[in-house]
Amino acid sequence: MTPDIMNGGRGVSRRSFLESLGGMGGSALLLAGMTALGFDIASANAAPPELGEGGKGKKVIVLGAGVAGMTSAYELSRAGYDVTVIEARAFAGGRCQTARKGFKLTELGGEAQECDFDDGLYINHGPWRIPYHHHSTLHYTKLFNVPLEVFVNDNDASYVAFNKGTGPLAGKAIRKGQIAADARGAAAEILAKQVKQGALDQQMTAEDRQLFLAYLTREGYLSADLAYTGTDGRGFEVNPGPGMVPGPGKESTPYPLTDVLHSKAWGVLSSVTGYEQQRTMFQPVGGMDQIAKGFERHVGKLIRYSTLVKKYRQNDKGVEVTVSGPDGKVETLKADYCICTIPLSVLRQMDMGVSAKFKAAIGAVSYALVGKIGLQMKTRFWEEKHFIYGGHVYTDDPDINTITLPSTGFQSQKGVLLGYYNFGASAAKVSALSPKARQDFAAQGGMRAFPEYADNVETSFSAAWHRIEHNLGGWAQWDDEGRRDAYPILCEPDGRLYLAGEHLSYLTGWQAGGIESAWQQIAKLHKRAQAA
Amino acid sequence: MRLSISLAVVALGLGAAPAFAADGKQLFMDNCSACHQETGKGIPGAFPPLAGSKVALGDPKEPVTRVLKGRGGMPSFATELTDLEVAQVLTYVRGAWGNKGKPVQPALVMALRTGAKRENAKASLLAH
Repeated sequence: MTPDIMNGGRGVSRRSFLESLGGMGGSALLLAGMTALGFDIASANAAPPELGEGGKGKKVIVLGAGVAGMTSAYELSRAGYDVTVIEARAFAGGRCQTARKGFKLTELGGEAQECDFDDGLYINHGPWRIPYHHHSTLHYTKLFNVPLEVFVNDNDASYVAFNKGTGPLAGKAIRKGQIAADARGAAAEILAKQVKQGALDQQMTAEDRQLFLAYLTREGYLSADLAYTGTDGRGFEVNPGPGMVPGPGKESTPYPLTDVLHSKAWGVLSSVTGYEQQRTMFQPVGGMDQIAKGFERHVGKLIRYSTLVKKYRQNDKGVEVTVSGPDGKVETLKADYCICTIPLSVLRQMDMGVSAKFKAAIGAVSYALVGKIGLQMKTRFWEEKHFIYGGHVYTDDPDINTITLPSTGFQSQKGVLLGYYNFGASAAKVSALSPKARQDFAAQGGMRAFPEYADNVETSFSAAWHRIEHNLGGWAQWDDEGRRDAYPILCEPDGRLYLAGEHLSYLTGWQAGGIESAWQQIAKLHKRAQAA
Repeated sequence: MRLSISLAVVALGLGAAPAFAADGKQLFMDNCSACHQETGKGIPGAFPPLAGSKVALGDPKEPVTRVLKGRGGMPSFATELTDLEVAQVLTYVRGAWGNKGKPVQPALVMALRTGAKRENAKASLLAH
């Protein structure tokens, strides 16, 4: 225990620092101080750059109609630029996709899939949840009238189904709230009793000890004698109700701490969620592709679909992009500038007339292997029999990882849940299976949590992003060396070429990364175009 | 389980070569075949072939480094595969589909491992 325990490991406690700021300069200084301390929760780019109108007479070609490309097209065309967007696919959105009835996907070297979910059911096999602080994404959902609903990103009623632990709880599906109550209740009891017995008398004042005990009692639902004996929040053996029976019901008994510890199920617990993973998040009503469609309503007329980039050349006067259209016709388009949002995993294999330094930097990043499967279930047994409405079932099998129950369509007949969400070597392994074999694998994977699982599977749609043409990976995974050497090069233009996308942000894998990267690059482009 | 058996076989020096290749094939099927394909021919324009590949068959330092660090569209397998497994899978690649390259030794993999890690901490319970 360090002497700093009482002031958060800092020389000056945060509170006393804030108090002194408030005393010196009033609330404005206090707010500035809070930003300096990292308390300002706004994203670095909460609104698009103000470009004004000076883009008239300037032409920009945007490569890729994902959210970064469409953000660029939308903002630049508003500023008067003449924008053309080149998109390889027949639809816009990039990775912002939703699979519903009729959606087709053939992975490289794989079988053709056509989604055959019932009408109204879907899976977001790309991005699927939005944090509240992704102001950039939320800027456009608001602007384009894309209605949002809550994405249940944590649910105490859902299961932790870990098989790799030991003891009586291993291999069982246990409600997360029970693990949380028992692990934290026991921890609070042990700590409280230590404090009571004087273990921290040297480190804490009497007043702090009293307050600390009060906190521990509240945190762990401890009794007056600092014991944890369970709490109603972990659920009842017999639920309370009317009259004499069930009347008050029967309280449940906590799991012994040793059983909780050996189950390893505590691996899902933390004081707060990670920055990007709040307990409640957002999703667009009807599927993530509603965001793509929102953009498309405004910039769709600028997009040339089913058009492939064959060659990029540039000189000090302008850029030339050679493309092949849906009819196979090859033509060369000219413009003043180019914004390229093509993933680096794809770009590195293209004929790009850029500097050697820039080309080397493009090749310096890995892309994540990511797999998802949507399973259509003929009943919503997780709601009807297990009373779980949204949230994740956690497993310790990396090939499955999490099973996610839908945050929409509650109490309807059927539902599509996410049957696995795997990464890296697990994604490589599962993606080597045929679509049908993936479905069978996922169906078995859910049996650890729900006995009804496999029998309810009707059909599926799966995606392995590393095997999807035009993406070749889920998102950019920079290493320290790449961030230090290649990333800064790619953040600056090479001649008249500006790259944008999630890969050029520290929000990799999030739509906000793509949008904010586009905002940053078009602001640079605009400044240069105005000066030219 | 597979790994501990292989280690035992290697340690005892009993029929190391065949066991090495068999495990290597399974590791290849599990970790590599989704992209490089079971045939080792890859997918033109997306995933490079390993059959007849100069890189795969050349100085083993290069393929070992690629498996450990990733490159371009290929991810790092540094946290997914042990030194022995990297050696096994590359030994398989260097001997399959008519390839005739020398086996890769686990000691080489161990020597080439560096502290540089990908941003793959998110590849745990939840990512995006």
